[in-house]
Amino acid sequence: MRDEPRGDQLLDTARAVLREALIPALPADRRHAALMVANAMSIAMRQLQAGDEPERLEATALQAMLGDVSAGSCVPPASGARARLAALNRQLCECIRDGRADEGPFHEAVRRHLLAAARGRVAESNPKYLGSGE
Amino acid sequence: MNDTIRRALEDFLRRQAGAERVAIADVKLLSGGSIQENWLIRADVAGGDHAPELDLVVRTDAPSGVQGSHPRAEEFALLQAAFDAGVTVPEPLWLCRDANVIGRPFFVMRRADGIAAAHVVVRDRRYGGDRAKLLERLGMELARIHTIRPPRADLGFLAEPDGPPALYAIRRLRAYLDAHPTPHPALEWGLRWLERHAPPRGDVVLCHRDFRTGNYMVDENGLTAILDWEFSGWGDPLEDIGWFCAKCWRFGPGGDAGGIGERDDFYRGYERESGRALDRARVHYWEVMAHLNWAAIALQQAERHLSGEETSLMLALTGHIVPELEYEILAMTEAA
Repeated sequence: MRDEPRGDQLLDTARAVLREALIPALPADRRHAALMVANAMSIAMRQLQAGDEPERLEATALQAMLGDVSAGSCVPPASGARARLAALNRQLCECIRDGRADEGPFHEAVRRHLLAAARGRVAESNPKYLGSGE
Repeated sequence: MNDTIRRALEDFLRRQAGAERVAIADVKLLSGGSIQENWLIRADVAGGDHAPELDLVVRTDAPSGVQGSHPRAEEFALLQAAFDAGVTVPEPLWLCRDANVIGRPFFVMRRADGIAAAHVVVRDRRYGGDRAKLLERLGMELARIHTIRPPRADLGFLAEPDGPPALYAIRRLRAYLDAHPTPHPALEWGLRWLERHAPPRGDVVLCHRDFRTGNYMVDENGLTAILDWEFSGWGDPLEDIGWFCAKCWRFGPGGDAGGIGERDDFYRGYERESGRALDRARVHYWEVMAHLNWAAIALQQAERHLSGEETSLMLALTGHIVPELEYEILAMTEAA
């Protein structure tokens, strides 16, 4: 069993040092690069915190939703979780492009699913965006 | 810039300027421009029409390019066409197609002064002058760009869409997504919406295709130059209007029009110069298109990093803008 602090905790602490102690001491023309480093650390930290759970949930939701429209799944059962998720998303892409999600309850289900998935990813990449109001 | 390149460039400038002697006094590699290199150059000139001094920007082809961006010779032709149409651009001076002179093709334009950085322009009121006037001016400049129309022998390298430009753009974006290793259903959703709501073919004009805050230069008084012509091509004039006003290019809460003010000021400047009314209801469509286009470019930037073609934290982080673009696309297409 790994000891704490874990990777995400280390990143959190390291980022605080970067922001509070290092960035103010940098010349102006280097600050942008340092802020990008801090941003990259934040994204990595949030992805570590969330772990594989969001992608597991996404796959489950896709499986349930696509079960209604696609008869046979083209996903080999033995393939890895990420390959399976990609294959499911590819099926969804085809449905959307073919117009099968244009109307009706499936349209609503796909829209809700996509919104939830996008929210989840924004929560990792740029959580401030969701709070910004539309 | 090493000595060999510097001497080669001095020699090129001397011949083009019809001067007896050209000595580069100052060279600076400009930041920004992830696609090409820009060198800021001050040269002392003896003899000829350009004495005693030239303030120049030298634009070279970059080690790697974004798919669909124009090489320097084509960008030079676009800049020339814009300059001739009365658009405020840095005056294009000389093109060097010969890659043997400094190692790759380049062109030389007159330096425009000011600042372009979007985060500064939207926040710092010292730049750009009165915002309503600046937006009117930007609208006017865009209308002038849109006076450039096919067919044009000098711009023969630009493909002309057959049929509605919107459908042409959708096909191109789908082809890009199909080639990408990761599926993006939210982007497919946006493209399907665009397909179902595509406007018919209307006027086809030269679209700048990156006309937004960050790509024009301002000083304390107002606009000094429209920059970054490497994505320009024939299309629907509203594509540029939508790109300029899209939420993804506002850099903060400073207003719908480029993050610096009101749409009405921008539209008024455009309409006054073009003499035609803008179809305001259709701008939303092209704002959705803007988000799709930017998402595809962002994915491409991340690919450049991932492939090892150009390792860069900036390119890597650009890929992480895609989720918020997807979220926005879903929100913008909700009603339909």
